[in-house]
Amino acid sequence: MIEVEKLSKIYGSTAAIQDVSFSVEPGEIMGFLGPNGAGKTTTMRILAGYLPATTGTAKVAGFEVHTDSLQARQKIGYLPEIPPLYPEMTIEGFLAFVAKIKGVSAGDRPTRIDYALEKCNLLDRRKTLIRKLSKGFRQRVGIAQAIVHDPPVIILDEPTVGLDPKQIIDVRKLIKGLAGNHTVILSTHILPEASAICDRVTIIKSGKIVATNKPDNLMTDLQVNTSYDIEVDSNYDRVREILMGIPHLNTVTIANAKAFRDDRLRLLITSEGSHEIGPDISTALVANGIPPYEMRRIQASLEDVFLELTTEEMNIAPPILESPDESQLEPSGEDNE
Amino acid sequence: MKLIWANVLAIYTRELQSYFITPWGYLIAGVFWLVSGFFFSILYYNLTAQSILMGSDPNLPSVDYAYELIRTFLRVLGQVVLFILPILSMNLYTEERKRGTLELLATSPITNWAVALAKLGAVVTFFFTILLPIVAYQIVALGGASPAISLEPLLWGYFGLLLLASAILSLGMFISSLTDNTIVAAIGTFGLVLLLSLIDAVSNSTTGIVTDVIAHISLLKHYENLVQGVVDSSSIVAFVSYILLGIFLTAQSVEAFRFQRS
Repeated sequence: MIEVEKLSKIYGSTAAIQDVSFSVEPGEIMGFLGPNGAGKTTTMRILAGYLPATTGTAKVAGFEVHTDSLQARQKIGYLPEIPPLYPEMTIEGFLAFVAKIKGVSAGDRPTRIDYALEKCNLLDRRKTLIRKLSKGFRQRVGIAQAIVHDPPVIILDEPTVGLDPKQIIDVRKLIKGLAGNHTVILSTHILPEASAICDRVTIIKSGKIVATNKPDNLMTDLQVNTSYDIEVDSNYDRVREILMGIPHLNTVTIANAKAFRDDRLRLLITSEGSHEIGPDISTALVANGIPPYEMRRIQASLEDVFLELTTEEMNIAPPILESPDESQLEPSGEDNE
Repeated sequence: MKLIWANVLAIYTRELQSYFITPWGYLIAGVFWLVSGFFFSILYYNLTAQSILMGSDPNLPSVDYAYELIRTFLRVLGQVVLFILPILSMNLYTEERKRGTLELLATSPITNWAVALAKLGAVVTFFFTILLPIVAYQIVALGGASPAISLEPLLWGYFGLLLLASAILSLGMFISSLTDNTIVAAIGTFGLVLLLSLIDAVSNSTTGIVTDVIAHISLLKHYENLVQGVVDSSSIVAFVSYILLGIFLTAQSVEAFRFQRS
């Protein structure tokens, strides 16, 4: 339903996205995941026909979004980051306007508007002025305008941003309900959201796709490095020298987390792929007279995969040691679902 | 093609409605009526007094005071609208940008020029609506004039005013499409209007080839011709050219703005 091939968007000398290729099957919900500024919005805007790509092609429902722009646009429902609303209109009036400009015939309009209102749970508010609506309702009206013309493809740019936990759950349910009849592509920087609603997740980092798969397969597919957190009483150069001889050992870095004692060294060691190097590490250390005070294998979660894939600095604190990023990644109320 | 015209109509209707359901439109209309009504009363009493004074002297050539009033008032209106029009045009695109609705329009199956055409059509219609009461009270006030006023020069004059307004609104729309700041759009359009007056002043005060050229591009000069009752097709062509230029530039700037990072 959506075919994107080698899409690039270059602003001056910086590339917002580079060689992005992916495809979405009919009826699927595809999550576009990445940190802020990774190129999610740019990709969404190109797909929606708002921005022209510098190179590459993007086909939606068989139409190239740039060359057959007008036909492609008719097949797309698009919710930008900020829901595009006219505050002085009523919800119903606004949806009627959108239905008109999207080319819904006059006879079909009332049923389509009712459908959109019902899907988005807005039936009892149809006569309300948009400027009187709260953020959550505005977002729903934004989604309603994206589905009012029954488009085969729906593009949602950060549909849950700025909503409270209850509203987030409502909007997610709503999006899930759209799958099947519509092909949905949504962007988010919240990982649990992607794994909760999407059939497939594509992770984008600095404008390049780094991974794409079902949420469950993403981890195994990526051959995530196994890492170890150890605490030793020695200096870094010496430990490093000892450890670098171990086969399949990838990196040894100083973990920038607080050590229990100042004179001890806390290290983060990663191996290539899923090689089990724990016994080798402890043996090597003990043989050289540096017994570890503490050693722990860090189980990579999907969140770590995401962080690893999308963070430039590799020596981030392991999430087990209270990482400040964690609160941002997981909005409160997440467990209620 | 049919869809495009249906879309133009949809956007036109929505725009026009927004003038009548927000206090903004009424405020502008109110101010315009107040100012123009004030000038009309002054002119009316002045000319009435003058006609009584002069009319008693049979040696002076007779003057059609009613016609004189219409022309002077149209000239005054031509100046007053220069201040009203930038306020009408400043929000045409800035508001869409601020609300993000430009993204909705740009991702709908509709071309940029159709959006521009619809928006211009709506604001010109609104301006036409607020002109109607003014034309009406003039006809009432001068209904008893002797010799009776002929409607033709009056209507040509107002047609000229509408063309002048459309041209300025069209260029103002272009300026509003360049920014998402209402104040910048308003000031830019005032600057443009000032430039137009300056061009007019230059064409009035000097002679030569350059002046002739300037006179041809001066909107106010063409307006003056229509007010004088000189209906020249070149004036109408000039107005229409400005209107089309505004629509064209607006469509281009909306297109070009998409390339920029926001």
